[in-house]
Amino acid sequence: MKAFRLERQLDLDPRRAAFYRILGALCALVLSALVLVATGRNPVWILGQAIDAIFSRQRGIEGVALRATPILMTALAVALSLRLRIWNIGSGGQFLAGAFAAVGVGINLDAPGWVVLFAMAAAGTLAGAAWILVPALARAYWGVNEIITTLLLNFVAVQLCAWAALGFWRDEGAFAIQSTESIKDTLPGIPGTESLSIALFFPLVIAGVLWWVFRSTRAGYEIDMIGGNPKAAAFAGINVPRRMVAVMLVTGAIAGLGGMIQLAGSPGAQQLNAGFSAQYGLSGFIVATIAAGSFLGLVVAGFLIAAMFFAGLVLQTRGLSVYIILALYGIILIGVAVGEMAARYRLVRAESEVAVTRQT
Amino acid sequence: MILGLVEGALLSLIKVAIPASTVVVLAALGVMLSERVGVLNLGGEGLIGIGAVYAVIAVTEWGVTSPWVSMLVGMIAAALAGAFFAVVVVVFRANQVLAGLALAIGGIGLSNQLGMNRNGTPITTLFSEVNPGDKFTSNAVMETFLFHDPVVYVAYILLPAALWFLLFRTRHGMNMRAVGENPAAADAAGVSVLWARLGYTVAGSALAGAGGAYMVLSFTPMWAPDIARGRGWVALAVVIFGAWRPFRVVAGALLYGAMISLGMTAQARNWNLPFFGARDLSFFLSMIPYLVTIVAILIPAGAAKLGRRIRSTSAPGGLAVPYSREER
Repeated sequence: MKAFRLERQLDLDPRRAAFYRILGALCALVLSALVLVATGRNPVWILGQAIDAIFSRQRGIEGVALRATPILMTALAVALSLRLRIWNIGSGGQFLAGAFAAVGVGINLDAPGWVVLFAMAAAGTLAGAAWILVPALARAYWGVNEIITTLLLNFVAVQLCAWAALGFWRDEGAFAIQSTESIKDTLPGIPGTESLSIALFFPLVIAGVLWWVFRSTRAGYEIDMIGGNPKAAAFAGINVPRRMVAVMLVTGAIAGLGGMIQLAGSPGAQQLNAGFSAQYGLSGFIVATIAAGSFLGLVVAGFLIAAMFFAGLVLQTRGLSVYIILALYGIILIGVAVGEMAARYRLVRAESEVAVTRQT
Repeated sequence: MILGLVEGALLSLIKVAIPASTVVVLAALGVMLSERVGVLNLGGEGLIGIGAVYAVIAVTEWGVTSPWVSMLVGMIAAALAGAFFAVVVVVFRANQVLAGLALAIGGIGLSNQLGMNRNGTPITTLFSEVNPGDKFTSNAVMETFLFHDPVVYVAYILLPAALWFLLFRTRHGMNMRAVGENPAAADAAGVSVLWARLGYTVAGSALAGAGGAYMVLSFTPMWAPDIARGRGWVALAVVIFGAWRPFRVVAGALLYGAMISLGMTAQARNWNLPFFGARDLSFFLSMIPYLVTIVAILIPAGAAKLGRRIRSTSAPGGLAVPYSREER
């Protein structure tokens, strides 16, 4: 009798892994569509509305690109940490810390516009890196799990920004509701668009640079080596803790810069308030896990998730809530996790069961 | 006089801290259970939300009139979500970090969606305070510690005691700890790793759900979006701080509650410091629990690194590692 059985693959082909992750995410989406049907909603109609909202007007496509910018920045932070097998779950907090520092510089520094913008970018980058400094040192030198430490700092960042918005940097103007003062200088716009600024190029350039670093530089090779086997990397003469701290600081810096370019580049986001972060950290995390360390795949995944995010915002007015997007994120993540596992197994005909046992 | 004032302030702090920490105590004990058998459950935040929203639904929609029954409803709902997670990570051996975050995010989204039309609806089916006798009301200390919901007694005394006995004084508990420390050895000794991990992950999820239900049935007491407000994540940190031991976990959770209630007291009593108003102080204090939690995680690791030995503060050896018999 011929039976089927699962056989574990020793070597995991990255393309196969990516295929299964995406397959898992798609299965999850189909599953959630079935749930929508069960609760009396029409997923085809919802999908049609979403596509219509995005592609019918220029504002739709620009809206997706606008959301993709912060999502890609936090995703890049997570993806870079994943190359080390480290989970930087605090990219949302680092994003906010960067925006916090940038808004502080922006409303207090009196200088020519480009000077202010450079100072804001520097402040945001440094603040993002500073926000991950303690988790990075603790992980690299004391072996403290970085998941919880980076995550808890998200809440500190949220409270800090709320404090700034309601307390020390509060805009006392008549129309301002619970937000900081607005910065005056913004990033230059992209000609021919209504709302996009050069902020959009930041994640694209960073993704390209990281792709190149991991393809053709020694530093990238060493980071991958640490990610693969830290002990072997240490024997090969790499200073593992130092490199780990450096990479984690860079991830924080990318997320922090993301906060700055959101503040200075997204229309209507020139001040900190309760809606500023808008779950970009979470969305970025999802993007990074779908892309699993590939920086070019990450850009594609980032625009897809941004499209979903934007569609969710538009559909809010048509009887769907933004919470459904969160639930969908959860389902997609589960799909990715299961797909990642499925890629490691292959269904084989177990006709030679006896032979296999004899060999081993 | 001064001593009396300090004592009074401290007692009123504790009086608020005890119910404020109960949610964290329940969730943290649940997380501890699943981690003891080697499953890292990052989904606490979502499970608290699911437990809370189903407790609210039970009361407002299904006409449940007993807080215990509606808490049970919340626990069952969270247990079902936890069972889904458990199957994904234990049977399919998916990455526990990914699946746990999925449970957290999905649980928050689902509970917010279900609770959307119930924002701010006050809950009237509440746990009532235990009255151990009027003769205690005159004593401030007794009054602080004794007059609470029955759930508080369960969470702080009965449950940790039961879990301690189960884990450290029974053969079954020893087997379960073995599953968490070294699943291959436990498997060789005839313990079913699969069922241990499934069972305790589900049980732990139910406890987190009980925490959420307690929130809406006593602490807040109403539904609001993002009801857990980070308590699910704090619970994870508290377990590390408490070194996976029931009573230390409870102590860690109480520390968190003390910080929260310090902020609440500062705002309520309008403590004004020079250059630092009551509002600033309350914002500042609201960041403190998270910072203290981080420091609390760092202390055991730092002490171990600096050569001071602290008795077994490390995580179960098999934590977050999927177990497969074929891949030993």
